[in-house]
Amino acid sequence: MLTGAGVAVATALVLLLIGLPFATQERGDRASWQEPSYGSGEDGPATISVSWSRDYTDGEQITRVDVAALGDPGSVRLPEGVPAFPAPGEALVSPELARLVDRLPGSQLADRFGDRIVGTLGEDALEYPEQLVALVGQRADQLPIGYPQHGFTSGLGTEHDLQLRFLAGVGVVVLLVPSLVLVASAARLTAARRERRLAALRLAGATPRQVISMVAAETAIAAAGGALLGFAASPLLHAAASHVPWGGGTWQPTDFQLPLAVSLPIVVAVPALVLLAAVLGLRRVMWTPLGATAAHRRKPPHWARLLALPAAGGFFFAMVSASADSGGGVLPVLAGLGLVIASAMVVGPWVTSAIGGVFLRIWRRPAMLLAGRRLRDDPKGAYRASAGVVLAVFTGSMALTLMPSLESMAGSSSPFRDSVLYLEADRATATDVVRQTNDELARYGQDERALALGQVTLRNGSDAIQPAIVADCATASVLLRFDMNGACSATPGIYSDYPLDPEQLTVTGSWEAGTAGEPFAPGTPMRPILSNGAEISSTPIVDPAVLPEGVEFQHALVAVPTTEENREVVRTALAGSAHGIEIQSRETRLDRQQGQLADLRRVTVIGLVAASLLAGCSAAIATAGSVMDRRRTFGALLAAGTPVRVLARAIRTEAAMPALVATVGAGAVGVIVAMGLYSLIQPGAVVLTPWILAPVALGALVALLAASVCRPALNRVRSEPLADE
Amino acid sequence: MRPQTTEDPLRTAGARPALCGRGLTKRYGEQYALAGVDIEIEAGEALAIVGPSGSGKTTLLHVLAGILRADSGEIELAGQRIDRLNETRRAELRRTEFGFVFQSGMLVAELSAEENVALPLLLGGQARRSALATAREWLGKLGLAGKESRRPGELSGGEAQRAAIARSLAHQPKVIFADEPTGALDTRTGRDTMDALLGAAAETGAAVVIVTHDRELADSVPRRVAIRDGRIDTGVSAA
Repeated sequence: MLTGAGVAVATALVLLLIGLPFATQERGDRASWQEPSYGSGEDGPATISVSWSRDYTDGEQITRVDVAALGDPGSVRLPEGVPAFPAPGEALVSPELARLVDRLPGSQLADRFGDRIVGTLGEDALEYPEQLVALVGQRADQLPIGYPQHGFTSGLGTEHDLQLRFLAGVGVVVLLVPSLVLVASAARLTAARRERRLAALRLAGATPRQVISMVAAETAIAAAGGALLGFAASPLLHAAASHVPWGGGTWQPTDFQLPLAVSLPIVVAVPALVLLAAVLGLRRVMWTPLGATAAHRRKPPHWARLLALPAAGGFFFAMVSASADSGGGVLPVLAGLGLVIASAMVVGPWVTSAIGGVFLRIWRRPAMLLAGRRLRDDPKGAYRASAGVVLAVFTGSMALTLMPSLESMAGSSSPFRDSVLYLEADRATATDVVRQTNDELARYGQDERALALGQVTLRNGSDAIQPAIVADCATASVLLRFDMNGACSATPGIYSDYPLDPEQLTVTGSWEAGTAGEPFAPGTPMRPILSNGAEISSTPIVDPAVLPEGVEFQHALVAVPTTEENREVVRTALAGSAHGIEIQSRETRLDRQQGQLADLRRVTVIGLVAASLLAGCSAAIATAGSVMDRRRTFGALLAAGTPVRVLARAIRTEAAMPALVATVGAGAVGVIVAMGLYSLIQPGAVVLTPWILAPVALGALVALLAASVCRPALNRVRSEPLADE
Repeated sequence: MRPQTTEDPLRTAGARPALCGRGLTKRYGEQYALAGVDIEIEAGEALAIVGPSGSGKTTLLHVLAGILRADSGEIELAGQRIDRLNETRRAELRRTEFGFVFQSGMLVAELSAEENVALPLLLGGQARRSALATAREWLGKLGLAGKESRRPGELSGGEAQRAAIARSLAHQPKVIFADEPTGALDTRTGRDTMDALLGAAAETGAAVVIVTHDRELADSVPRRVAIRDGRIDTGVSAA
C-alpha cells in the first residue's frame, strides 16, 4: 500500500516535471507569432512588416504586435487563433484585453490600438489564457521600425524558456530523489515486517535468490499499480499546476500533456527504479534479517570518504572559474554541481558514524548509548533516512542565497525618473511622435507635454566616448534622476556627475565611430550635479545653449512626465502615436524584473515544500522501519518495564541527530555552491539574508517531526510487547 | 459464566507470599486462556509452571508480571495489590521489582554484554560508571568474565542466555520471570543455564517463576505447577 502510494506520487511528479519543457514549448509555439523571426528572409520574399513591443496598463504587460501588409493581406498565412489580418487602423485583441478595453475609458487604453477593435484572438494565439495581446494594423509607411519578414513567425522547432527548463531539471533531481528514498523506505519497511515469512520460505528450501524474486514480484505488482495510478492521476496534478503563474500567467491544462512516447517509458522506468531500490533493500534484509543492525561490529567508514566533498567542491569551483573566464558552457558547472550533491552520499555516512562515535564517548543516558551504537553500526542506513531532507535543504539554501543576490542585481540604470515615460526614435520620427502625442494630450485635456531630448556623443581625445542627453537645466531637473545641485541658477553649461573638461571634449550628433566632432566654445562651463541612486548610469547633460553650431542629433528620446493619476492617459497618447516603438519607463522595467523574481520565488517555495514533504515522509517511514526492525528487542525491553519515553528518546536521537547535523552541513554547502554560481553571473559578494537559515530550520523541523513517529510505533509494540509480528 | 477458581494444591496457609494471584481469568475472544487461577510464590522460592502448548502458562506468567492485565482476579506483590496499577506504574514495577529472562535472550544486538546487563540499571537512573561495574560483577558471577565487551552475536547461545540472566538479576529484583529460558539451547547447555539461574537467584533471595514445557527442566526446579486449559491441574502438580 505504502509502496504503491509512494510510486504513484513519484510517477505523477516526474510526469509533471518532465512535462514542463514540453509545456513551455507548447506555450512558446502558440505565442511564436508575437516574436520576431530574424533571418526569415530565407523563407521567401517579405510579405509583412512587423514591430513588437511591450506596453503596460495598470502594471499589467500587454504584448503589442504592429503589422503592415507589404502586398495583398489575403495572401499572408495567419497564425492559429488569429481570425483575420488587421487593416490599418484596426486591431485584434485577446479576450482579457477586450474585457479591459470595455471596462476602461478609451483615453486610458482603447485609443492605443488604432481606430477600432475588429475581433478577438483565440486561445491558440495566446501564450496563456489571460495574456493581454494586441495585433494592430498599420500602413507600411507608418511603421518606422517595422521588420520585413515572410509571414508571421512560426515557432515550431525553437526552444522556449530555458530558465524554466533548467528549473525543471533541478526539480526532477530534487523531487525524484526523495520520492525514490520514500519508496525504497516503504519497500524496506514492508520487507522487515515479512521477516518471519522470509525465514519460513528459507526453511522451506528457497534460496535467497528465489526469496528475493518472490518478494520482488510482490513489490513489482505494488509499484506497477502505483505507476498506473500516478499516470491516471497526473491530469489532476496538471490541472493544479496550470494554476501556478509563470512568466506572467497561468497555463492551459493541455500544455502539460506528454506524448505517449515520452510518458510510457517514464511509467515503466519509475517502478523499475523502485524495484531496483527495493531489491537492494531486500538483499540487506536477507543477509541480516533482524534489520540493518549487525550483531557484530562493523568497520566504520574510512576517513578518506571526507575527501569526496572537497574534491567535488574543487571540481565545481574549477568549472565555475573556467566558465567565468572563458564564457564556457553551463554543462560542466552542472556536472560539478551534480558531483557536489553526489558527494553528500559519500561523506554523509562518515559524518553519521563520527557523531555515533562522539555519542559513545560521552553518553550518560541509555538513549544516547543506543543512538550512538546504532549510528556507529549502520551509518549508511541512518544517513539514508535523512538523504531526502539533506537534498531539500541543500537546494533550498542554494536558491535562497541566490535569490536576494539576484534581487540586488535588479534595477535600472535609466537616467529618467520612475514616473517618466519615454521612447527612443530617430530625429524625424521623434518629432512626429512629439507632435501627435501632444495633440492627443491636448485632446484629453492633459497639461503634460512630450519633449524630444537629443542624443549626442561626447568624445574625449581619440577613443573615449560617452553618450549625452541634450536638455536644458529646468527640463533635466523635471525628467531626470539627477540633483542639479543649484546649476539651474547659473549660466548654461555641461552638467555631469563626474569631472569633465569641456575644453578636451568634442561632440557629435551620431553614435557612429569616425564621425568628426565639434569642440565646445571656449569657456563652456562644467556644472557638477549629483546622481540620485546607486545604479544610475552617468549621463552628462548638454544644455542646448552650449551645443556647438552644426551639431544635429540624429536620435532622440521622446519623454513625457506623468503623475499617478494621468499615467495611463499619457501612455495611451504616447502609444497611439508611437507606431510600434516600445514605451519605456524605469518603473515598468523594475516591475518586469520583480515579476521574474516572483516566478523564481514561487517555484522555489513550491519545490522546497514538496521536497520537504516527500523527504519528511521517507524519514518518518525509515524511523518507523527502524522500530519494526527491532520490534522483538524493543518489545522485550518494554515488557521488562522500560518506559516508552526512554526508548522514544533514544530512537528520536538516533533518527534526528544525523539529519540535524547533515541539514546544517547541507545548508552551509548550499550557500557556498550558490556563491560559486553567483560569481558566474555577477562578480562580487552575494547578499546573505537570515532567510538562508529557513531551509535549515525547515529541514530540522522535518527531521524532528519524522523522528517523532517512533512514539506511535513504540506504542503499537507496547500494546503487545511479546507478540510476534 | 465465571469459571470456578482452581487453587494451587500445594500451598498452605503460612508466611505472606512474595507474589500471589487469586481468581485470575484472561480471555481471548471466547477462549479462556486463564479460567480462574490461584497461585502463590514465596520469597526465594523457585517454581516451574508446566503444561502443553496453549495451556495458558505463558499468559499466566505475563499476567503475574503485569505485562498483560487480567480480566478479573487479584495480584499481590509482598501483600500490595498490583493488578489495579496503571500501565506506567506497572512498567515501573517490572523495571524495579521483577527481572525477565526470555527464550532467545532478547539482548539488544548493538550493545555489548556489559551494556546489556547495565541497561536496566541505567534506565533506573544509575550512573554509567557504577552501572557498568555492577554489570561486570554479575557477568563474572555467571562465568562470563573476559567477555563483557562482546556483542550478543559474538556469544554462544548459552553465554547469551547467561548474559540475559545477569541482566535480569543486576537490579536485585524480588521475582524473576523466565519464559522457556532454555528453549533455544541444547540439553546440556540448558541444564547449565538453569543451574546458573537458580544459583544466582538463590544468592539474591529472588523468587523464580519459570514457564516451560520441558518436563526434564521442570524436574530440576524444587516446585512445579501444571496448567491445562487455563486451570491449575491438581492431578499433575507435584512438589
